[in-house]
Amino acid sequence: MTDTYSINLTRAPKPEKGTKSPSSAKRIFDRVRRQPLTVAAFFVIVFLALVAIFAPLIAPYDPNQSDYSTLLSGPTSAHWLGTNDLGQDELSRLLYGTRVALVVALGSVLIAAMLGVPIGLLLGYRGGWTDRLGSRLVDVAQALPGILVALAVIAILGRSLWTLMFAIGLIFTMGFARLTRAVTLTERHKLYVESAHVVGMKERVIIFRQVLPNLVGPIIIQAAVFFGSAIMIESGLSFLGVGLDRDTPTWGGMLSGAVEHQAQQPFLAFAPGIAIIITVLAFNLFGDGLNDAITGGVRKSPRKKLTTAELPGMSNAPTASAATLPGQTYSMGAQDAATAAPDATSPWDSRADEIRTPTGATETLPDPVEGAVLDVRGLSVSLERPEGDVVPLVSGANLSIEPGEIVGLLGESGSGKSMFAKAVMGLLPPRTRLSAGSIMFDGDQIAFQSQRALRAVRGAGIGVVFQDPLSALSPVHTVGKQLIEPLREHKGMSVAEAKERAVELLDRVGVTEARSRLDHYPHQFSGGMAQRVAIAMALAADPKLLIADEATSALDVTTQAQVLDLILDLRDEYGMGVLLITHDLGVVAETCDRAAIMYAGEIVEVGTTTDLFHAPRHPYTSALLAANPASDAQVDRLPTISGRVPLAGEWPVGCHFANRCAFATEACTSAPVPIVDQVRCVRADELTLEAVPR
Amino acid sequence: MTTTTPNTSHETEASRADEPLLVVEDLAVEYESAGAVPWRRKVSRAIDGVSFEIFPGETLGLVGESGSGKSTTGRAILRLNDAAAGSIRFQGTEVTTLGRRTPLSYRRDVQAIFQDPNSSLNPRHVVGRCVDDTLRTHGVTDPGERRARAEQAFDQVGLSTDHMHRFPAELSGGQQQRVAIARALVLEPKLVVCDEAVSALDLSTQGQIINLLADLQAITGVSYLFIAHDLGIVRHISDRIAVMQRGHLVEIGEAEELFTNPQHAYTRKLLGASPASKPEGRDERRARREAFRQMHEAETQLA
Repeated sequence: MTDTYSINLTRAPKPEKGTKSPSSAKRIFDRVRRQPLTVAAFFVIVFLALVAIFAPLIAPYDPNQSDYSTLLSGPTSAHWLGTNDLGQDELSRLLYGTRVALVVALGSVLIAAMLGVPIGLLLGYRGGWTDRLGSRLVDVAQALPGILVALAVIAILGRSLWTLMFAIGLIFTMGFARLTRAVTLTERHKLYVESAHVVGMKERVIIFRQVLPNLVGPIIIQAAVFFGSAIMIESGLSFLGVGLDRDTPTWGGMLSGAVEHQAQQPFLAFAPGIAIIITVLAFNLFGDGLNDAITGGVRKSPRKKLTTAELPGMSNAPTASAATLPGQTYSMGAQDAATAAPDATSPWDSRADEIRTPTGATETLPDPVEGAVLDVRGLSVSLERPEGDVVPLVSGANLSIEPGEIVGLLGESGSGKSMFAKAVMGLLPPRTRLSAGSIMFDGDQIAFQSQRALRAVRGAGIGVVFQDPLSALSPVHTVGKQLIEPLREHKGMSVAEAKERAVELLDRVGVTEARSRLDHYPHQFSGGMAQRVAIAMALAADPKLLIADEATSALDVTTQAQVLDLILDLRDEYGMGVLLITHDLGVVAETCDRAAIMYAGEIVEVGTTTDLFHAPRHPYTSALLAANPASDAQVDRLPTISGRVPLAGEWPVGCHFANRCAFATEACTSAPVPIVDQVRCVRADELTLEAVPR
Repeated sequence: MTTTTPNTSHETEASRADEPLLVVEDLAVEYESAGAVPWRRKVSRAIDGVSFEIFPGETLGLVGESGSGKSTTGRAILRLNDAAAGSIRFQGTEVTTLGRRTPLSYRRDVQAIFQDPNSSLNPRHVVGRCVDDTLRTHGVTDPGERRARAEQAFDQVGLSTDHMHRFPAELSGGQQQRVAIARALVLEPKLVVCDEAVSALDLSTQGQIINLLADLQAITGVSYLFIAHDLGIVRHISDRIAVMQRGHLVEIGEAEELFTNPQHAYTRKLLGASPASKPEGRDERRARREAFRQMHEAETQLA
């Protein structure tokens, strides 16, 4: 129930039942295709492979055929890249050299993988003493200079293609072993491995049939990078004259010859040098690109500068943003602008009309709430997938919070509740952005503001508590330092004042022996205590609004009750508004004054807690209450909601809940359902829903 | 510490007539952590003196906070952790002394469903394969028979054969958990350890999985050790409930009895802290918690 956006980032849209879903290979291929450098590198590699295979057909001369009439000639029409000191054609030698380079690289990397991967699997899987001893040995082997190892192997076994591959392979073996071990260590503790144990599989079967397939990705990436290095080392060894004998054309050997005769013919070094550079670069770029495609990473800065021109449908909109025009609060919401902005001459009106729902199901945005500490209207957030398509995560959400009021935002995973909170905080993760809406905080517009403008508001006005306190607190600074610094920055306190205030705050949130605890690091606190410290930090700047994003979800019930009680006490004492994001009906029942129910990116119902629990008006709210196993009532079977939440990107045109709703009619699916009178249901007025149908 | 309450439910009375399926006696599990020097490892007990029985066809709920040792107990029964002391007897056979390789017969009889359905399935294999591998491990050599039994298992948990060819990432959390259940039940085990089996699922999916587990129990007569931190779910599914605190079992009793008449102070605290399903009376509950806290503070100050 955490980090819904990370799931959305990596998951491609799901097809309907029965159709073939895109395989992961296809997804990776799609992403690779979007990286021009990787594609270019791939074609260079293909080109090199073709050259290597067809060298005898392409090469104008036999690489070892000497023409003593033209020694060290430089480029001529007969010898495009000139000739060497024996009168051999440089172009032909370069083409044949590709063969050696690729064969040696391929062979050595294969040998290294065949030796290194099993070693790493064994060390990582066995763990304990095997791993401790084995890893140290691998480290020692890795520390030996690669070229020296290769020289020693060649000295012992003599010069041949196989020796060269084996020698270079040995250098990379330890690299593969270390990588495999590291990945295996993390895989070993995953539940699928434990499940395999419980099922009774043999260790050998688990290692090679269950764990190994999960290592293929990293191993391939590593192999691509090693490929480049292998070519470098091969060239280096040939340059030193310990690679293959002089009759076999190699790039390193050509360079070596070029150095000997550089005074007479300086051009000789260029061709093999450039060949090596291009080949190594191609393999490295391809390896990096593949890595990015598999892990879903992005090289370029993911967060585009939020300028008006880049917002969808806003290319011709005035550059002034919402906040600079008092009274005009909807400059960014194309869809909402049409309904909210009365001035028909607005340059984006025509565009907005096209976007508006075809049936004319217009949504009347609520009037600005006077005196609200937070007033969100028409908020929409969208995600740009690495594949390039844009999917909405939150659409048209309205919510206001009065001072001293605790408002719950309840939703299942993927409902968009966390995105809503992150949008309010201006902390949207990479690739997601605010696409429309207005966020008024204490009378100021904070939607579409620069990070710098937001920082002032966030630091001084909004306190935030996240699910995992230990990830919200910096592990390398003491709790005292983390509390004191914001106090000095936002309140301009002296060190001594700030320290006193920090002690007060910690004491207030129930951290015992607050003064001595200031010198402790976050990991020295238990989960519940760390969450109290996080709350103290959120309180440091006397916020008008506290946002608790699943703040108690990771805590045990007894600790959860304490932290919720603390939030209630603090609300009573400071009178701040609280936005409580949760998936737990019980948390809403125990703490909230009002709550908004979110489903598949939309707020479907808003009401006071008592009303929601006793007279739910949206079928989803009612179904959710009925499905709550925590209910006191004793029943044989739990009422359930059939089907599943549609994922972002698969939302239907009409009501998002329609396909799971017992009351759905045709009217529900034909057009978007506006939120009217705090409920987003076409049949809200005709339905009488039971609170708990038992 | 163990309170034995008289049998009230007729259901459990019937099962009590049988011999217990699993007997856990004075079980202790130790774990090592790094000491000051690599060869000196600190040893501490994760659980100590844990005793309970599970009868055929029964569901025993095991509740407690994180670190109370409830998962460790389940893992010891699954032989994922070694027992340091005490005994686990399954159908009269001592399990703790079986040696490094667990006999396949025990693996067939005792299965598990874990918390995170996403990571309990191999991400690189289509989900049908995990059921197939399970059958293959247990000596079903005929591919046709394996296929038929896998299809039957998928059908039992409400998935179609179409789902068998998908990767875990292409299924929802609830569907993934159904696959995990299919894998656990395809061997027709006698006991399934459900370690937080529904905790990671959404509310609307939780109910589906709990109903499925109950249905399957009615058909196959399997016993569950249902480990969870959510008291509401445990109360719904369990015949009896055991409460653990800091590695010890503090109370065990009939589910309704334990909820309506908790004996141990910790059980009362746990029940008092669980959020209610309705907003009514929340102010009183808050006041009661506050009073409890102040009482506790006063006690610690006196001490």
